[in-house]
Amino acid sequence: MSTARPDWQKRFVQLRAVVTIELRRYFFTRQALAIYLLALAPVVIIGLHAITSPLGRHCNIAEDTEILAGIVQLFYVHLGIFFGCLILFTWLFRGEIVQRSLHYYLLAPMKRDIIVLGKFIAGAVTTSLIFCTAVLLSFIFMYGHFGPKGEQFVFDGPGLHHLGAYLLITVLACFGYGAVFLAISLIFRNPMVPGAFVFGWESISGVLPATLQKFSITFYLKNLAPVDLSGKGLLSLFTVVAQPVPAYIAIPGLFLFVGFMLFFACWRMRTMQISYAKD
Amino acid sequence: MAIYKRLYRPYVGRYTGNRFRFLVITKSALRTLFDSRPLLAFFVACNVPFTIFLMIIYINNSAAAQALLQMKNAPIVIDNFFFLRYLIFQSTLSFLLTAWVGPGLVSIDLSNDALPLYLARPLTRTEYLLGKFGVIFLMTSVITWVPGLMLLGLESSLAPIGWFERYYWLFGSMLVGSLLWIGVIGLLSLTLSAWVKWRIVATGAMLGIFFALAGFGEALNGVLRTHWGYLLNLGFDISLAWFDLFRMAPHTGLDNPLFELPPWAGWLTLGLLSAFCLLMLNKKLKAREVVR
Repeated sequence: MSTARPDWQKRFVQLRAVVTIELRRYFFTRQALAIYLLALAPVVIIGLHAITSPLGRHCNIAEDTEILAGIVQLFYVHLGIFFGCLILFTWLFRGEIVQRSLHYYLLAPMKRDIIVLGKFIAGAVTTSLIFCTAVLLSFIFMYGHFGPKGEQFVFDGPGLHHLGAYLLITVLACFGYGAVFLAISLIFRNPMVPGAFVFGWESISGVLPATLQKFSITFYLKNLAPVDLSGKGLLSLFTVVAQPVPAYIAIPGLFLFVGFMLFFACWRMRTMQISYAKD
Repeated sequence: MAIYKRLYRPYVGRYTGNRFRFLVITKSALRTLFDSRPLLAFFVACNVPFTIFLMIIYINNSAAAQALLQMKNAPIVIDNFFFLRYLIFQSTLSFLLTAWVGPGLVSIDLSNDALPLYLARPLTRTEYLLGKFGVIFLMTSVITWVPGLMLLGLESSLAPIGWFERYYWLFGSMLVGSLLWIGVIGLLSLTLSAWVKWRIVATGAMLGIFFALAGFGEALNGVLRTHWGYLLNLGFDISLAWFDLFRMAPHTGLDNPLFELPPWAGWLTLGLLSAFCLLMLNKKLKAREVVR
């Protein structure tokens, strides 16, 4: 005699199945190659720096800490993770439509919300893992080549706190941008045009009025950064300093935003009709 | 009609001359593109800066207009920097236009295996490419060098005697600077269109190459304590070439990284990129592909 599984348990099994299938697809695709390139490019140059400047011969820890902060906050958050998520998350559904395979999922006896959640989780895990690995390697190379001085900075100084903050920023950026691009890909046929708009918005968020700054992901991530980079570059002349948000508001705030975006994506997916010929 | 009754009937219309046969591709692609209303609206909006610059030139040279607007003197100096700013504005818009239009030009033929259909006709691969490039060339020309030369012509006719003698070379700078930009972004977008099967990905790649590479260049400069990383920023490369063409001198005040590298570095990078794009296009655009 078989007993029917409770509803939540059945949905969890379905979610796990979707996540497993999708994870296998995202790690080893051509799109992932571009993400690996975006993530590992700074690691290569920091590695080169470590080789050419053994034991900090041509540099010092304070300078390198600022450079690493710039790489994480400006390159990874604004460009690497942004474009990585743009590539992967817009492809979650749009790619299946282009490849004419989305109907296989829609014909499966499961709620469409599960498909959205499963794909999102798989995408977020993929991007988070790739970019966290890259940030970790960058950190190791950046301080590793200082020898005992670097070791002291990491284990007896603020190093580990910096690393924790960078990894947290990376994960939150992957989730935040991922949710935005997933939602965008379910509205627009060519998500690159709104993607370019989001890029522009996030890039100029620092010079927007304080209220508008709160509608950007970088605003919350900036508050978690261990090294303050404001006041650098030409744009700093126009920067509007907004009231900083403490971590206990920034982190749940960002997850709330992700939740809202996912809710919207699920709602959109429920009424979605595919026409491969049109798309 | 039954199939056996369909007989071969040769084309009876007027043939396009051999030399300009590639324009058939351009014409047909332009017709399809301008069916899109948002694109048409954006294309029209791209000429708004031209109107603004036109008004500035007119007000600057008209005492009556200045009196009407209660201005005591000419509001701004119209020199090489003024026209360089115009080119920078319009080139940004032309980049967005190319990022919108370019990635779909070749990929649609390749993903539908339509390239052999083109090449089975009296068209060479070069002509096919010229036809596709013509779309980008015409659309971006209308918003870059054509109105740019009109502005220069207007300024030359309205400005006091001596302005033309001093700045006549700007006509060449505007033309060469615009053509250089059109050539680079046109070739890049066609290459991405040929190598990336899907338009969405090709558009993303175009944006990624421009912005992510620039960011990577900045990271390279920071970590390796150099300035050569700027060369990975295509916007910087073209600016190096433009500064050279528009005879810009180093400004005092704000640090301008454009004067930290020699102009030839920008020209060389753009030349190498164009050559690489042509090589990749040559490799990809083949009538048939042997699948092993």
